[in-house]
Order: sequence, then C-alpha cells, then structure tokens
Amino acid sequence: MNFLQRHLEDPGRFARIRRWFYAGLAVVAVAEIVLPRIYPGGESHFSFEDFPAWGSLYGLVSCVAIIVVSKLIGKLWLMRREDYYDS
Amino acid sequence: MTLEWVHPGLLLILGAWLLPFLKGRVKHVAMLILPAAALIDCLLMKPGTYGVTSVLGQDLVFGRVDRLSLVFSYVFSLMAFLGMIYALHVDDDSQHVAALTYAGSALGVTFAGDFLSLYLFWELMAISAALLVLLRHEPSAVAAGFRYLLVHVFGGLILLGGIVLHWSQTGSLAFGDMGASSGGMAWTMILVAFLLNAAVPPLGAWLPDAYPEATVTGAVFMTAFTTKSAVYVLIRGYAGTELLVWLGAAMAVYGVVYAVLENDARRLLAYHIISQVGYMVCGVGIGTALATNGATAHAFAHILYKALLFMGAGAVLQTTGLRKLSEMGGLYKTMPVTLGLYMIGAFAISAVPLFSGFVSKSMVISAAGEVHRPVIFLMLTLASAGTFLHTGLKLPYYMFFGKDSGQRGQEPPRNMLVAMGLAAVACVLIGVFPGLLYQRLPNPVDFVPYTLQHVTSTLGMLGFTALGFFLLLKHLDPEPTISLDTDWFYRRGSAGLVTLVRGPLARLEFGFVGEIYEFVIRRPVLGVANLLRNFDSLVVDTAIVGVGRSTQTLSQVLKTMVSGNAQHYGLIMAAGILSLLALAIFIR
Repeated sequence: MNFLQRHLEDPGRFARIRRWFYAGLAVVAVAEIVLPRIYPGGESHFSFEDFPAWGSLYGLVSCVAIIVVSKLIGKLWLMRREDYYDS
Repeated sequence: MTLEWVHPGLLLILGAWLLPFLKGRVKHVAMLILPAAALIDCLLMKPGTYGVTSVLGQDLVFGRVDRLSLVFSYVFSLMAFLGMIYALHVDDDSQHVAALTYAGSALGVTFAGDFLSLYLFWELMAISAALLVLLRHEPSAVAAGFRYLLVHVFGGLILLGGIVLHWSQTGSLAFGDMGASSGGMAWTMILVAFLLNAAVPPLGAWLPDAYPEATVTGAVFMTAFTTKSAVYVLIRGYAGTELLVWLGAAMAVYGVVYAVLENDARRLLAYHIISQVGYMVCGVGIGTALATNGATAHAFAHILYKALLFMGAGAVLQTTGLRKLSEMGGLYKTMPVTLGLYMIGAFAISAVPLFSGFVSKSMVISAAGEVHRPVIFLMLTLASAGTFLHTGLKLPYYMFFGKDSGQRGQEPPRNMLVAMGLAAVACVLIGVFPGLLYQRLPNPVDFVPYTLQHVTSTLGMLGFTALGFFLLLKHLDPEPTISLDTDWFYRRGSAGLVTLVRGPLARLEFGFVGEIYEFVIRRPVLGVANLLRNFDSLVVDTAIVGVGRSTQTLSQVLKTMVSGNAQHYGLIMAAGILSLLALAIFIR
C-alpha cells in the first residue's frame, strides 16, 4: 500500500485533504485581493485585471464555461459512436 | 560541407543506418550516442552560414546558424536523445531508423537557409513520421498512417507550388522574412503549407487522427517535431502576420473544447498540442520581440513537457493495453512513479509556478497584454484554465484515480522511467531557473515571470479551475464516443463523394451526357462511317475488282498463246512481222 493509497482510501484522511484544499483556495483568493494593496506597483495591462480576485474568478468562470459549452457542442453536433468511421 | 561544420541532422539521418548492423549493448550505446553527438554538435555551433552548395545556379544553404535556429536545434536534439532513451527497449530497427530520420529532418528544416533544402527535409519529415504510425501495424494505425501521409503530401505539394511561384517571382530561393510578398499567391501557398504542419484548424485534424495511432515510442517523437518545426518556419517567415494572432487564439480554445469531449488518452493530449501550439502561433502573429521570444520559449518548454505527458500515457498503454479513459481508473496503486512523473508534465503544461510552462506561456500572454489585445488575452487565459482542467485534472483523475477499473498495470521498463525522469527534471529546471532558457532566446529578454501579481493570479486561476472541476465532476465522465473534426471531409466526405459519383453523377453521365454523346458524336460518326463504307464497297471495291477481273481475262487470253509449240510461236512471230510491215506501209 503506497502513500497515496493510505491517504485516499481512508475517508477521514480524505476529508482532511479536502478541507486543506478549500482552505488553500481561500488563502489564494484572499492573497490575490490583499497582496496588491500591500505591495502596489504590479503592472496590469487591462483594467479588468485590477478587479478583486480577478484570476480566481476568471479561472472558475472559464472552467465552468469550457465544460458547459463544450459538452453542449459535443452533444448537439460533434460526438458520434466510436464505430462512426467504420460503418 | 566543410570540415568545421557537421550537419547534426545528417548525422542522425545517416547514422541511423548503422543501427540495423549493431547488436545488443553496442546498439543501445549507438542509439544514445547519435542524438547526444547531434546535441553536442548544436551546442558547439557558432552563428554563421555553413554548408553552402550550388545547384542549378542557386545557392542551397544547409547551415543557417543564428540564435533562432540554434535554440530550436538544442531542443530538437535534446528531444531526440530523450526519445531514444524512452525507445531503448523497443526491438524494431525500422522504428529507430524512422525516429532518427524524423528528428534529423526537423534539424534539417531548422538549419535550412533556402526553400529547396527546406522542402527536402520537410518531405523527409512527413515520410518518416508516417512510418512511426504505420509501424504499429494495427489496421487502424495503418489507415491513420496513410491518411497522415496523404495530408502531408498534399501540404508538401502546396509548399512546392508556393516555392516555385516565389522563385519565379523573386528569382531567389532564399528563405527569410516573407513580409515583402505579403498577400501574394506564393506567400499564401507557403503560409498554408506551414499552417497545415502547425496543425492550425481547419487544416489540423491530421494530428489528433494520427498521433494516438502511432507506436508508444513513436508518438513521443511525433509530439515534438512536426508542429514545432512549423512554428519555427512561421517565426522565420511570417512574424507579425495579423491573421496568425486570431488563428492562434482560436486554436488554443479549439483544442480545449475537443479535449472535453475526448475519451482516448493520447488523443486528448493531442488536442492539447493543438491548443498549446495556438499560443505559439498567436505569439508569431503578434510579432513583437517579447512575442516571438514567447513563441520560441513556449515551443522549447512544450516539447519537453508534452513528450513527458505522452511518455506517461504511453507507459499506461504499454503496460495495460488501455487507451480509453472510460476503461481506466485506479492505476495509482500500481503505477505511482509514472503518475508522479506525469503530474510534473501536467503542472508544466498548466503553467503552475516553478514549472516550465509558467515561464514560457506567460511571455505570450503578456505580449498580448503589451500590445493591448484584450480579447486575445482573455482567450489565451481561458485556454490556460482549460489546459489545467484536462491535462492536469481530468486525464490523471480518470486514468490513475476515479472509479477503480480493476486493471493493474505495472511500472514501465526502467529506460522509459529514466526518460520521463530526465524530461521532468528539464521541466522543473526551466521553471525554477528561467534564465537558462531566456538567455538562449532569439531576442534580448527583460521579462520577469515571477512577479507577485502574476504568481497570485495564476494560483487563483488554477485553484478555482480545480474547484470547478470537482464541482462538475459528474458531468465530465468520459464517454465512449469520438468527435467529428475536419478529417470528416476526407474520411466520410470522400464516401459521400463516391455516393455522389455512383448516384446522381452516374445518372447524369448515362442519361444526359450519354444522350448528348449519342446524338452529337456517335450517330453522326456512324453515319459518315456508313457513307464511307458504301463508297468503299461500291466505288473502290468495284474499281479494284474490275481491274483484277480484266487482268484475269487478259491472262486467259495470253495463256492460250503460250502453248509451248514452236510452230505456233513462229506463226505468231510471222503474223507480228506482217502486221508491222503493214503498219509501216500504211502509215507512210
């Protein structure tokens, strides 16, 4: 049983990993809002980059948009059975 | 070829033919020494022009060595070295010869200073890469290999056409910035051929079609050379072409969309090659010093991490025989080393700070910011989230974790792990010490990747992409389907063409064209022929038969005279003399 197995197969440890993950996200988002105010002078090319926690927000929006839009295009148009080209 | 300059490409192409004659350990050593020698050769090279040969009154330049060709040659030969380590256990000389020829041709393209030698290596690259697909021998691979070859022969012909046109218009074969003939036919044809090799949609469907069908080790080579040598020639000839900005950004997003739908592990990675090459093409299009530096740096980093990712997926394919994500799962228990090394590649492609993608991709995105292109900037950043979503989360999740499929692969042979390890080291080294790469880029670099804002916003973006992934996980389960791409046109569209030919076209042919032929050509021709025949039988025949008959009659008459009787002859002679005398008397 390797290191990963010990951590993933024990529900208690897995729940702890999940809590650390959410804590990490919170830290990153807060850092993104707070740090530029403490250390100003970072160069941003566009005004939208100065929106609080821009990276986190855009990451979440991008991720959801990519999944939803791609699946939609796939279901409506692109996806075919695996033997599509053989028949 | 002068003695002070040895072409590293020729070293590989010619040296490859030694391998079939060697055995065992000696062969293994040779397999590693060849690309190592090519790498050292490139590292020792000084900028200049070498290997100039005169053919047909044109100077062929086999060795244009400058900062741009050098940095590409480093990564190409380094990649050949890593690829050969990965392929060390393979007992198939033809694969090794094909792989080394392929790498050598890519180096040939890199150092080509004129269009003819470029074209020569361009075609050699297509043929040797097709071999790497064909040599998997499975029916699907053979079919994909031939499709690959057909597409690239088509691209090669367009390139050749463009070159000939360019030659006739400018009188020169030299390959450099094409800006002077911008918009012309030659400019367009050469650009189309380059874009085809860079897998820019709609010309790029050959890539996800062929790469997942290649041999486990062959695919690793294929990820490196064709698209990146195309990026190199685009930088060389087409930097600053506005069209490329949009094509590149669209391509980055396109690859991500298809990756959502994809079930085949190596095909998913192949779509991410298209996405990543999109950043480079976009950088070439922007064309500023920072942007071309970014395109070059990203090509360099990309070759290493993408090879690592394909090595990881190849290791799973080799030891479990599985290629579909819907059939994998739970492999982390038996392949933890492969998983760990794969994840380094995944972090590198996702541009996680301290990994190579972070220091290269950010150059292109910053370049888009610098020239104030907000839409391009947002598209590239979105594709960046998509990259992490698929290569960093979806693929490892379904391959190594997820629902336990009960499949138990084992770690691949040691040489494969060593190759993956070295590639992983390179990904981390470039990420931690970006200066190692930056000092070799074509333009001077004053770009600082590790700024506070850049690191925090990247971490935020990646972290919340991961959050989105886990929230929508149940919608992402891979499905056993394939997705339509532009290869439809030559896979099913051609079948449609056949139906068109058999149905409507055939009816048109037999009905309309056939009738016209009947009335306009066949009947008049037959009529004239009939007339001629009648004339022939009535006039010509009669005349000839008549002559024959008269001759026969005359002969019958003459025959009665030739009796063999001397008295008859004497009588006839006497009659003749009498007639002559009578004539002489009467005429006088």
